[in-house]
Amino acid sequence: MPIQEKNILNRLYFVAGCMFLFALAVVGKLVYIQMAEGDKYKELAKERTIKNFTIQPNRGNLYSDDGSLLATSVTRYDIRFDAVAPSKKNFEKNLKALSDSLSMMFDKPSSFYQNTLRKARNTRNRYLLIRRNLGYSEYTKIKSFPLFSMGPYKGGIIVEQRTVREHPLGKIAERSVGYERFDENGYVTRVGLEGAFGQYLRGREGKRLKQKIAKGQWKPISGDNEVEPKDGYDVISTIDINIQDIAHHALMEQLQKYEADHGTVVVMEVKTGEIKAISNLGVNKEGNYYERLNYAVGESHEPGSTFKLMTMVAALEDKVIDTSDIVDTGNGVLTFFKKYKVRDSNRRGYGKITASKAFEVSSNTGVVKMIDSFYKKNPEKFVNRLYNMGLNKKLDLPIIGEGNPYIPHPNKKGWSGISLQWMAYGYEVSLTPLQTLTFYNAIANDGEMVKPRLIKEVKEWNKTIMKFDREVINPSICSKSTIGKVKQMMRNVVEKKHGTGHDLYSPNFSMAGKTGTCQKDYASKENKLQYISTFAGYFPAENPKYSCIVVIHEPDKKKGYYGADVSGPVFKAVAQKIYTNSPLIDTVDEVDTVEEKLEENYKAYYAKAQKNYTVIPNVKGMSGMDAISLLENMGLRVKVNGNGKVKEQSLQPGKKIESNATIVLKLS
Amino acid sequence: MSAKLIQKIDWLSILLYFSLVIIGWLNIYSTTLTDENTSVFNLTLPYGKQLFFIGLSVFLIILVLSVEAKFYERFSSIIYLVSLVFLLGLFVFGKNVNGATSWYAIGGMTLQPSEFAKAATALALAKYLSDIQTSINRLKDQLRALLIIAIPALLIIPQPDPGSALVYASFFFVLYREGLSPLYLFIGLVAILLFVATLIFQSAWVAFGSFAIVLLVFIVKKRRNKRTSVLPYLITLIAAIGFSYSVSFIYNNVFEQRHRDRFGLWLRLEKDPQKLDEIRKTIGYNTFQSESAIGSGGFFGKGYLEGTRTKGDFVPEQHTDFIFSTVGEEWGFAGSTLVVLLFSILLLRLLFLAERQKSQFSRIYGYSVASILFFHFAINIGMVIGLLPTVGIPLPFFSYGGSGLWGFTILLFIFLKLDANRINEWL
Repeated sequence: MPIQEKNILNRLYFVAGCMFLFALAVVGKLVYIQMAEGDKYKELAKERTIKNFTIQPNRGNLYSDDGSLLATSVTRYDIRFDAVAPSKKNFEKNLKALSDSLSMMFDKPSSFYQNTLRKARNTRNRYLLIRRNLGYSEYTKIKSFPLFSMGPYKGGIIVEQRTVREHPLGKIAERSVGYERFDENGYVTRVGLEGAFGQYLRGREGKRLKQKIAKGQWKPISGDNEVEPKDGYDVISTIDINIQDIAHHALMEQLQKYEADHGTVVVMEVKTGEIKAISNLGVNKEGNYYERLNYAVGESHEPGSTFKLMTMVAALEDKVIDTSDIVDTGNGVLTFFKKYKVRDSNRRGYGKITASKAFEVSSNTGVVKMIDSFYKKNPEKFVNRLYNMGLNKKLDLPIIGEGNPYIPHPNKKGWSGISLQWMAYGYEVSLTPLQTLTFYNAIANDGEMVKPRLIKEVKEWNKTIMKFDREVINPSICSKSTIGKVKQMMRNVVEKKHGTGHDLYSPNFSMAGKTGTCQKDYASKENKLQYISTFAGYFPAENPKYSCIVVIHEPDKKKGYYGADVSGPVFKAVAQKIYTNSPLIDTVDEVDTVEEKLEENYKAYYAKAQKNYTVIPNVKGMSGMDAISLLENMGLRVKVNGNGKVKEQSLQPGKKIESNATIVLKLS
Repeated sequence: MSAKLIQKIDWLSILLYFSLVIIGWLNIYSTTLTDENTSVFNLTLPYGKQLFFIGLSVFLIILVLSVEAKFYERFSSIIYLVSLVFLLGLFVFGKNVNGATSWYAIGGMTLQPSEFAKAATALALAKYLSDIQTSINRLKDQLRALLIIAIPALLIIPQPDPGSALVYASFFFVLYREGLSPLYLFIGLVAILLFVATLIFQSAWVAFGSFAIVLLVFIVKKRRNKRTSVLPYLITLIAAIGFSYSVSFIYNNVFEQRHRDRFGLWLRLEKDPQKLDEIRKTIGYNTFQSESAIGSGGFFGKGYLEGTRTKGDFVPEQHTDFIFSTVGEEWGFAGSTLVVLLFSILLLRLLFLAERQKSQFSRIYGYSVASILFFHFAINIGMVIGLLPTVGIPLPFFSYGGSGLWGFTILLFIFLKLDANRINEWL
């Protein structure tokens, strides 16, 4: 390797020069910050030793819809003992008394405490743990014990105070309530409701500058805090703890069964828009499911077949199709531009079927063909219809992180010749589960679209900071006749044999909904193809009380991926449980009417009974029981034949009453 | 052998090494001293642990020096492969600390293999380049040398620890010294210049500027030599402009906001002074605090254990990557300059030692040691005083941490052993 001597030397100088230049640059910069800007920085560090202490705010309480406390902050005390601090005299004098008091309080023999305390003093332990996690009353009690009552310097008591988050309802919904934690680097992990409402519950840290006056002792610099801590607000959520618990467990079970990546379930009250349950579970590295991200609110994805509802509503509203129109699904494949294929999931088509049935069997070709033939010339009309129903707008929720909905528009970037056809069955559009649910809820609510609400009220003590009342986004998204038609179709999805959701059918209660089995990452290679299984709907079908959406991402394909199989059971479990918990609201109405009738009968009886009869009353048409008691009260003896209402009476009305006379009633 | 070793070994380097280690420990002590006075041997506190690490280093030094010098050359490939295996093993057994999976947890201790991989790579590179068959001016050999350097770096990047990976760029100094065409260095330099220029000005202006410069050079050359072809200049120009536009694309689309913020702060891209101040106190918090600490030190510093910014825990990570800020605050300009001086003397001494090696292997290894130490020194101090953007790598011999200290100790003392053996190798 011939390099000339001079060349080598040059190279050495170059490398050494680089190093030297850098050292010079360092010194230069040091001169700059220590000399030129030094005064500025010295000013910053002028005080002897000042430290910024943060003051933690108290976190607000979290309540469920009926006002039961889901999470609250309580103060806990740890008591420790500095065995070196007390003087010999004080220690010896109080040791026995202190040990006795401790023994009375904590169920350990006095000798145990005497030994422990003495040993601590011998080993010069300045931080002996006496007891952890004491409540306030125990803390005040222990503070009054002999020796401890002398305070920290003479008595050696060390009190450490901390705030812990407690869930008064215990395990129930603990996962859903979640938590918000900050690690030492300030990174936050927030899950569940605590995470979702964090911005209200959290409050703001205060700051206080303190100056060091002696080892370990810090004196506040001014009387006030530099920044006052602001306690978090209380949040009254709309969550119903029972429904929440059911939804959470039903979702968990399906996720585990299908080894899915993540899933979400949301239950909404139809009339009010209150979210009664929301659960978001994702898998971690170990394969366990946890409340992770708020998928329901944040994850906008292609909805797939659940979007056919929006498509049908638009088409029915424009009167381009009707439920009984016939569409030819052919052999189950539609081809556009010779390369874009739309296929039916059964791979062979359904032949000629009605528009209604196309929806119920979720025929992709059927729906796409209809939309293609009616809107091809004017896709803008279709898209505008969707826009008018508010599907392209965010819900504008008071919690952070709502995903953006996306619906392409022919006049905007991103529109292609195939967009209309893709949109018809839920691709190339993107909605969050909550946005989809809001639409389904509007159908259940006869066209009135109400905004979903997770929070009823945000309070600071008893003062209302924010109140979220029922809010109508759109008083009528479409005509009543359209609503009636799609409601029937959604009902058929579950009730008709051919419906995609028929497996969920139960003779005991009625449901209506739509399945969705959407391909995910279909642009990548075949083996990466994953599915999103959805079921959205409401129940009871005839008089909807709750709407519900279940979305499960990436179930194990080998175990199944159809919306009805994967997500449907969660929906059914929620519906079933709510039915059994709130027994038959419909029959309650009938009970009321029966009561009314009884009431009338009773009134008639009462009116008659109150009259001071001197003659035999006409009891024909009264019930046997009433007649007997009425007549017996008059001092008559009553004999009865048959049962039911009085048809004949042996003593005719208007006859004077004789005591101990016998009257025979014939009942029918 | 022992007497010979004591006679031959470079005591100046050893003196400099121990000075740096001791000054380093004094500063770690000051930084991590708590209010409760505990023993300096308290193994639960950083200064106690560091003392233990230093003790182990002495043991390591004896071990490294007592091994035959030939061993390092002969087994360099195996050492290199073993270190790669350890780096690969992190993907399976690694322990995550502060978001980076760079550690093995053994008992109560953690080891960071990337700190040892540097020495292994230096050995392997020295071995390869010193091979009689290898010619640094052949493209094939250049690529192989590059591969030796790049493999460990590529294994370290996804940990993620881009700072440690960046250090591998220091081997270009070595390649350059061994005869690599200065063109590479020139291209690298131009690339850095274009990168910075693109961030400060717009791509369009950089394109315009490149055009002007290339045209100027071309005209000058053309005057001297009528037959100068226009083609290479055209290619250079297109490459420069293409580079600039791809930098701006990557910067805006691939980089994350936090990366952009760092560069934005470093190059003062944010012109609004109020916003800049805001960024300094949030994104540039570490640097801002460290500059404040150093700046408040003045010429002679506040005195040992008297640094108020240090005692007030204002500078995050002060005992590891930001240890130099303690020097700046408590020892002032005088102390900082002394440390810089000690490092500079050590580096120049190492270059001198490397140049006097008779064997190519020892020389290349020596250059590698000097270059690696220089990179660490430059990037760390540059970051602490705000000359360079924040890249988390330790200050050699100074920063808290067992793996780092041991890695640098082994790196340095292998070379001192080779150097002490320089006459013997002819026997």
